[in-house]
Amino acid sequence: MLSALEPITGRGYELSPGVRRVRTVTYLDTVDWRLRDKGMLLSHERAAGPGTLTLTADGNSFSTTLTAQQQWPARVEQLPDGDVRSAAGAAMWVRAVGPILRARTVTREVAVLNEDGKTVLRIDWAESTGTEPARTTPLVRVSLRPVLGYQRDAKRAEKALLAAEEFVPADDTLYDELMHAAGVAAEEAAAPGITPDMPADVAVATALRGFGDAILANVNGVLDDIDTEFLHDLRVAVRRTRSLLKLVGDVLPPRLTARYTPGFKWLGDITTPTRDLDVYLLELDTLASGLIAGEPADLDPFAEHLEAEREKARRALARSLRSQRFSRLLDGWRAALTEIIEADRPADEEQADEQPDAQSLAADRIRRMTKKLIRKAKVITPDSPAEAVHDLRKRCKELRYLLEFVKPMSEPAAHRAVIKDLKKLQDILGSFQDGEVQSEALRVFAERMQEAGKPPAATLLAMGELSAGFVTMQRQARHDLTGALEQFLGPDTRERIKALLP
Amino acid sequence: MKIVASYNVKGGVGKTTAAVNLAYLSAQHGSRTLIWDLDPQGAATYLFRVKPRVKGGSARLVRGTRPIDAALKGTDFEGLDLLPADFTYRNMDLDLARTHKSGRQAARALARLLGDLADHYDVVFLDTPPSLSLVSENVLNAADVVLVPIIPTVLALRTYDQLAEFVETFDQSRPRLHAFFSMADRRKALHREIIATLPQQRSGISPTAIPALSLIEQMAVQRAPLPSYAPRSPAALAYHSLWTELTDLLGA
Repeated sequence: MLSALEPITGRGYELSPGVRRVRTVTYLDTVDWRLRDKGMLLSHERAAGPGTLTLTADGNSFSTTLTAQQQWPARVEQLPDGDVRSAAGAAMWVRAVGPILRARTVTREVAVLNEDGKTVLRIDWAESTGTEPARTTPLVRVSLRPVLGYQRDAKRAEKALLAAEEFVPADDTLYDELMHAAGVAAEEAAAPGITPDMPADVAVATALRGFGDAILANVNGVLDDIDTEFLHDLRVAVRRTRSLLKLVGDVLPPRLTARYTPGFKWLGDITTPTRDLDVYLLELDTLASGLIAGEPADLDPFAEHLEAEREKARRALARSLRSQRFSRLLDGWRAALTEIIEADRPADEEQADEQPDAQSLAADRIRRMTKKLIRKAKVITPDSPAEAVHDLRKRCKELRYLLEFVKPMSEPAAHRAVIKDLKKLQDILGSFQDGEVQSEALRVFAERMQEAGKPPAATLLAMGELSAGFVTMQRQARHDLTGALEQFLGPDTRERIKALLP
Repeated sequence: MKIVASYNVKGGVGKTTAAVNLAYLSAQHGSRTLIWDLDPQGAATYLFRVKPRVKGGSARLVRGTRPIDAALKGTDFEGLDLLPADFTYRNMDLDLARTHKSGRQAARALARLLGDLADHYDVVFLDTPPSLSLVSENVLNAADVVLVPIIPTVLALRTYDQLAEFVETFDQSRPRLHAFFSMADRRKALHREIIATLPQQRSGISPTAIPALSLIEQMAVQRAPLPSYAPRSPAALAYHSLWTELTDLLGA
């Protein structure tokens, strides 16, 4: 090992190697790379005992010594109290961190001594070998730590090492180098490649197969209950599938859509109870802290009830996701889509013309959908029944999914502008819907708690206060809706949608 | 930042070994520690294997034309830095007097210089030359605690009393004096008697006695603090006791 550092001794220095230490390092992140996106690096180092968690962010390093074995993946509340948890909490949000890769690292501190035997530089030698998910060749790195007042010696040693070409300056972190060596890419699954001139059925099938992949990618996270967002992402993929089937599914063989549409409705339905309870549990702390008449602790029995209900719902969901019905649905669906994507296209131009290309389909459907949405939006007044507002919300969602489908064929700036307009409206419609659904749900929860036993009066009162809060939220949303609709129905939105279309 | 001086008018009583070993223990206990070797002979600097040289010498340091942190050197021990000695420190009295018109300012110049390092260190040890001079007056003014190594003899005690009387004349904050027995030889009856009785009779005198052992003299051969190469030796344990007393004094 030391031979690589020999060039330093040629400059009149002596090397004094320290003790060889071996440790395993597990690098952690959320599946959607939240820590990496914030420039953070979380690792779990173990030599003996439970080890240490280290988080580096913005040049700062935080450490927490573990006192018990740590299981991965872990959500923020499952991390031990300490600096790492405090520093990583906001970036992790509700997502769990799990191992991205593991490495075995052999380290040694080498002191560089001058003619007086004084340490003038410390060199950290580290030889890391990736072990999971793939074994890599050993990667050697040295870091030079100059001793205060001896920077000149450090420069001299660095120069000697570089001149001998044993080392080159590292242009990325060890983590990045290990990821590269292990073939781990720090990005979410790429969106399926859809091009404007693709036959419409191929484009639709490609998008749908991408959603099918997303559903499958999240199943294990739901089954293992790693964090709530696996289910959320699974549901989004199901909703996208259903919307696309509804809006552009007619370019696919009718028998195929007829066969699979009910399956995805079933999949959406079985995931709803758990997700509704997740949303409540995620928001409960915030809701509790907003109580004015009641105390946050008044809601504890409600939280317990929600937890118990969620566990029941999650088990039922897990049974469904492990069922043959689910695997047959996804396997059959993806195979059928693959068949469409890979089918031989007729060489005959006339026949080929029967099938529109992706761009024409997108233009046609966006036009139709926008027209429909504007028609529905125009008749909404402050006195419209809640059902009409909900219906508008659903249509907005459908347009949003359609816009996502056409994204690869659109000019990016125009696409962003349209999404921005729509999002503003969707946010208000979302608050309206949440206000109603949540206050409605509270009534049902209260009744169920009554049936199950005698909930404390303070709990029911606090739930009543929450319910009143939701009704207020819905009223506010109804008030805001008028302005948002005026803006959405104005000429700007139409112009932007026009600019989007070919 | 707390300042501890190791001081005695007499030379060869164990000031440097005390300053070096206690500074080492301070760093080992997690305090960011600096030791300033003010003695132009540079014994502490030698023990840390650092060259006794400060660019610009005493004059530029005292005048403030060269920042004090530019002269700092890291030792071989984590958390322990050294401000080395320089042969020009023999003129530090003159430099202090020349730079500052008022005698009062001149007697507090080192304290002001150290103020620049307050954010970087928790504890600063001053290893002082054996004299009663403007430099020593600066040291006594800057220090929160003055450790006074005394050999257990009557004459040495008399010197300590003189120092205590001198500190009493300070009109503003006075450092706490903390004497301890150094180079104690258990074979000598007088040493034994003074060590046994004096700490009970007089305040400010530690019951800890640093023995006269060749292991301590070995510091000059090893060129390292004693607890780093003989951590379980009786002498190292005695320095540990002294360190514990010192932390109480600094915390008080």
